[in-house]
Amino acid sequence: MYDCEDCIRRLDQLVDKELSPPEVEEIHVHLDECGDCTKRYRFQEGLKRLVKVSYQEQKAPDALRERLRQQLGA
Amino acid sequence: MAEQTVEEQDFGTEAIGNLDALYRGALRLTRDPDKAQDLVQDTYARALRYQHSYQAGTNMKAWLFAIMRNLYWDRFQKANREAVSIDDIGEFALYDQMRDDLGEGPETEVLDRIARGEVVDAIEKLSPLHREVVLLVDVEGFSYKDAATVLGVPIGTVMSRLHRARQQLQKDLFEYAVESGIVPGGLNKRS
Ligand SMILES: [Zn+2]
Repeated sequence: MYDCEDCIRRLDQLVDKELSPPEVEEIHVHLDECGDCTKRYRFQEGLKRLVKVSYQEQKAPDALRERLRQQLGA
Repeated sequence: MAEQTVEEQDFGTEAIGNLDALYRGALRLTRDPDKAQDLVQDTYARALRYQHSYQAGTNMKAWLFAIMRNLYWDRFQKANREAVSIDDIGEFALYDQMRDDLGEGPETEVLDRIARGEVVDAIEKLSPLHREVVLLVDVEGFSYKDAATVLGVPIGTVMSRLHRARQQLQKDLFEYAVESGIVPGGLNKRS
């Protein structure tokens, strides 16, 4: 059984989908009964998503894309 | 121009499909749009030259990032490659700080009120080694294993850098959240 400390230590890996299926199962057993860890987990997940969308607005300039297309024949 | 084989065409199409990701990566490394464009262009030129060493079906994005990173360090950072140190930022988490200040953990909705530009700024302030791991894992969706390959470090190093980077990020965003009134925390500690 994971306690809060076990759970918090694995939160990075949980949000990054790097835990093995048995570990995921085990951590969810804890999350199901621990509101504080669940909140923490959702927050970390939200932060990761925020980082992703914040950056994905950045696109390569069209001129660069065109040059590379010609260079690569794509 | 010589006729292209189907393989070469597929290679080109798949490579171009990773352009936005590579450009973002180049911007993070160089912090300069012109240099970023040059770096991306050189990366594609090298990729084309070493096309035969790419194994179809493997992670092309990781392969291109590895090429780009090597080019960058060779060209721009040779002198201080070894000099980059990871500063010890100490244990700090936005979540814990807010919980202490607010009496309970922040709702995830707090994140909705943080401007995207602030997030980008906070990531820009990270050290280069921290910044690139956040970019690879959080923005581009690399597995720890692929990130470790690109960065040439053990998986444990990817994990510890990522953890540190996230803590630093939370620290900066917390300061922003307090200053902009998104969370009322920290007031009792001032004046
Ligand atoms: Zn718990």
